[in-house]
Amino acid sequence: MNPEPISQLDRVIHEKGRLAIMSLLAATAKLSFTELRDTLGMTDGNITTHIRTLQEAGYVAVTKSFEGSRPLTTCALTEPGRKAFASYINLLEQIVQRARQ
Amino acid sequence: MNSSSAAENLQVIRTLMERAALYRRALAPIMLLAGGIGVLAGVVALLLRVENLHTFCALWFGVAAVAVAGAFLLARLQSLKDREPLWSPPTRRVAQAMAPPLTIGFLSGVLAFTTAANDDTADVILPLVWMLCYGCALHAAGFFVPRGIRLLGWFFILGACGVFAVWLCSGRPRDAVTANIVMGVFFGAVHLAYGACLAWTENRKVAA
Repeated sequence: MNPEPISQLDRVIHEKGRLAIMSLLAATAKLSFTELRDTLGMTDGNITTHIRTLQEAGYVAVTKSFEGSRPLTTCALTEPGRKAFASYINLLEQIVQRARQ
Repeated sequence: MNSSSAAENLQVIRTLMERAALYRRALAPIMLLAGGIGVLAGVVALLLRVENLHTFCALWFGVAAVAVAGAFLLARLQSLKDREPLWSPPTRRVAQAMAPPLTIGFLSGVLAFTTAANDDTADVILPLVWMLCYGCALHAAGFFVPRGIRLLGWFFILGACGVFAVWLCSGRPRDAVTANIVMGVFFGAVHLAYGACLAWTENRKVAA
């Protein structure tokens, strides 16, 4: 018997801020730290904390480089991150479908 | 979590994914390139006294072709640098949105070129039609491009209306000089100004 989908939801992704970051990164190859911050309207500290959590879970890869002389931090979903996000969405869909039935 | 908050989460995810999938490729360099070519062509047209309608159409079609080829090259270079496909979903959406008004603009130019007599003089009407079509194309693309490109579309549309009103009120005859100035100012200087503005704000964002 399948366990309840709610109990299977990935706690790392399920937080509102991290879910937003994962959603943005799932739709594009990569985004800069500034683009993420501006799109989501988060503070630098807040977004740094969330990205670190996602990075520790292995869901997000962070690359530091330079654009001209300025430092540029870019974030992208890793393959496990993409899979975790896809299964999170599947679980949400299951929850909605069960309620409809 | 209940079903309504799951549905809400799915809606939030969809909205954010759509927002992230906006076209972001090389907008400032493309605008600067198009503007530079437009200004140069306007100056050349005035210096060489391009007045014949056939020559006028040929010159500005050539300018458009060079600008489109340059834009394609810049977008391609950036896609290679970022290791992304050139024909990405956002690029496809932008191209599909711009295609109908640009096709009308192209066809109106072809119509003017093919129906004009050999000694017909260019006037301001054809540039105004091109401005209206281009403004509509930018406005349509603006739904998939960040950063005020819809405003630029409106600038072209209202600019065309304004120039037409001034031209009517001034009672000027068919006049190729005005036509070339309008083309150089709107398709050249306006693009340059917008590109410079984009580049400046992008640099500020990177610095932040």
